[in-house]
Amino acid sequence: MSTTWLPCGDYHQSYQEDHGWFQTRFLKGKMILLALCLFVLIPLVADSYWLSVCNTVGYTILGALGVQLLIGFCGQVTLGHAAFLAVGAYTSTLLILEFPWPGFLVNWGLAYPLSIVIAAVVAGVWSVLFGLPSAKVKGFYLILTTMAAQFITVDFIITQYVAQIGGRGQAFSLPPGTIRVGPWVIDSDLKVYYMMTILVILCIVGMANLLRSRAGRAWVAIRDNDISAEVMGINVVQYKLLAFFVAGFIGGLAGAFWISNLAAISPEHFPWFWSLWLVGVILIGGVGSLHGTVFGSLFMVLVLEILQLAIMPLADTYPKLLMDFLFIKEATFGLAICAFMIFEPNGLAYRWWQIKNYFNLWPFSY
Amino acid sequence: MVFIQKRLCRRISEWTLDNGKHLVCSLIFKRGYTMKVRNMRAKLFVVPFTILILAGFSGVAGAAEIIIGALNDTTGATSDVGKDYALGISEAINYVNDQGGINGKKIKLYQFDYGYRIPEALTKYKLFQRLKVAAVLGWGTGDTEALSPTVTKDKMPYVSASYSGHLTDPKKTPYNLFAATDYSTNARAAITAWFDEKWPKHPDYGKRKPRFQCSYMFASAYCSAPIKAIKDQAQLLGFEIGPDQDTSLLAIDTKSQVLAMKEFKPDLVWHGNTTMSVAATVRDAYALGLGADHIVNNWGFDENLPLLAGKAAEGVMGASVCAFYGEEVPVMDKVVEYGKKYNPGVPREKRLVRTVQAWANVLALWEALNRADKAGDLSGESILKNGFESFQNVDIGLRVPPLTYTAGDHRVAGKVPIYEIVDGKITHLATPDLKGRWPDKWATEWLGW
Repeated sequence: MSTTWLPCGDYHQSYQEDHGWFQTRFLKGKMILLALCLFVLIPLVADSYWLSVCNTVGYTILGALGVQLLIGFCGQVTLGHAAFLAVGAYTSTLLILEFPWPGFLVNWGLAYPLSIVIAAVVAGVWSVLFGLPSAKVKGFYLILTTMAAQFITVDFIITQYVAQIGGRGQAFSLPPGTIRVGPWVIDSDLKVYYMMTILVILCIVGMANLLRSRAGRAWVAIRDNDISAEVMGINVVQYKLLAFFVAGFIGGLAGAFWISNLAAISPEHFPWFWSLWLVGVILIGGVGSLHGTVFGSLFMVLVLEILQLAIMPLADTYPKLLMDFLFIKEATFGLAICAFMIFEPNGLAYRWWQIKNYFNLWPFSY
Repeated sequence: MVFIQKRLCRRISEWTLDNGKHLVCSLIFKRGYTMKVRNMRAKLFVVPFTILILAGFSGVAGAAEIIIGALNDTTGATSDVGKDYALGISEAINYVNDQGGINGKKIKLYQFDYGYRIPEALTKYKLFQRLKVAAVLGWGTGDTEALSPTVTKDKMPYVSASYSGHLTDPKKTPYNLFAATDYSTNARAAITAWFDEKWPKHPDYGKRKPRFQCSYMFASAYCSAPIKAIKDQAQLLGFEIGPDQDTSLLAIDTKSQVLAMKEFKPDLVWHGNTTMSVAATVRDAYALGLGADHIVNNWGFDENLPLLAGKAAEGVMGASVCAFYGEEVPVMDKVVEYGKKYNPGVPREKRLVRTVQAWANVLALWEALNRADKAGDLSGESILKNGFESFQNVDIGLRVPPLTYTAGDHRVAGKVPIYEIVDGKITHLATPDLKGRWPDKWATEWLGW
């Protein structure tokens, strides 16, 4: 069998082969190119501004992965995911600022990485709590319970109680030098970028593996028809809660990562609009596709940034254009969702799949 | 690197011209049009858009321009006061340019609305960095405090409309400045003025401690910035302090908060929100017979308060960091003239003290930039050291206190004029001198919070 191109037909002789990550040399080459692009080319070419845009893309991907898992793979509609990002961010921040870490952990730069893991677990457990109603309700009713997660977590618990810890006011500032990963102090866009890239890759690989496992197949079965899934012997409640845990876990990671970019947090960082935004990301990218999460995040962040750059030269003649850009941005968000729902309901991932197929089959499109 | 970027931009341009038109054609035009017409229309759309994007990618100012970035809120939670401030910023920059700019160099202003969203502010700050701005005219407390460590690291002068006391200690936030007294000083002065002027006239004076409560949005960094200071001052003056009430910046009905306050029966309520929300609370307090006096932070106290709250606003006291719009003070004629010239659609009677606050910040930055430029160095460090920190009682007019910033203290003054609404008009009540009355506390204890 060719090691460069896959032949027509299915010649796999084992499940390992069938599920292999890199089935051809060409694919390996593409992945090496992608890695070179992510770890060498972008840091070389991009200035601080574009790195910060990349970091926002990464944050959006991490945030949207959990939403994709819940909506796209498990069929559990959520409109309160920003709450779990907030739990992750606050847990990590409080652990850094308040927890009496043993000296050697701080000296070895392990406090922040450990706080990320703990924050992710706490956010996961918190997400399970709000996933419990999914055992009984679905559809619009589940949307309401997830929205409750947003308001109870951010507007009530974090704002009224958590943000008061330490008596430092609402905004928790992280003094320079407190965010360390091993010997590296995360104090520049480039370092945040590397951290983001590694986290995004880990999460996507983890999610992709989970989706190929028993749990992933159970989630998809529940999404497609929960009654049939139960008849097949799947413990629906258990797998739904597992989905909520994993989604919350990744959300917690996203929140804990984002504090390295902000150097400060307040409840204002996690508005309900952000939960809605993350749903928009997966709708545009493609529901039920990991590629879709990445494409959706790239589209939502990059298109708006490029649109902004496009109108900047007009600012001399029409200064109000810049001031009105927020209107333009939000109108574009709404318009993009409408346009995708009408013209490309399967999202950008489907378009990507079509393009890939075109080249795979070229020149014989049979 | 520039070569690679140029090549990349050219390639994008070529690609967009070659392929974009087909995409645009298929999306925009109906079937039945000739290909020629499609191509022509596609070019009409694609060519200018590509040029705009490329211009945007390389968009920085010309040689004799100094770029200033401005973040404003004209659509978010504080837009009730932010719109007027934003107008003031652009008008003041026009005035500075008409006066010759910075020793002949014009200022190019990039002004954005960020909707009072901190993540949006962070992204815009990165854009300002890319545009190589000399300084930023910022807005809210949440984003200004969040950006503070970055601003310090980047040595970027950041003149904000947030007068948070947390931004006044140069050891922690050297590049954060503003031409006004800070919220904590304003709050301490307002409670002191009430204690001195109003409490002695109260029937219960000498019989019990005065009762004090705060009403503000807990989640807002702006509203909660001076809470610690005002409670400290309340304790210092011997108040009994009641539980805080969480009132949204967007509140239009605050009856539940007022009813909760009635249980404590406060003599004095401090309002930390902006005008619209404060007017709602004052109105509800009047309607429900709370029977307390009110003191308001400066962003909640302006010409709109008596208009919005009507009779309920009578006796409300507040701090103001400069003259109100149209008052007869130096430079006000220019403020009014430029308002009429550049925003004729907004009548004079609708303009607020917010415009004047914006002018104060711009005029202070102008002076600092002039001084730094004369010293031959317009870097952030020079703007701070040769500019702001060389100020010694600089009078910029508009009844802004004479500005002095030192390397150890960025608070501009210890005296704050407190005003009261009498017969629907804002009148001066008192000017407590905190620095003179508590010199030790002022010098050491109260700095930075």
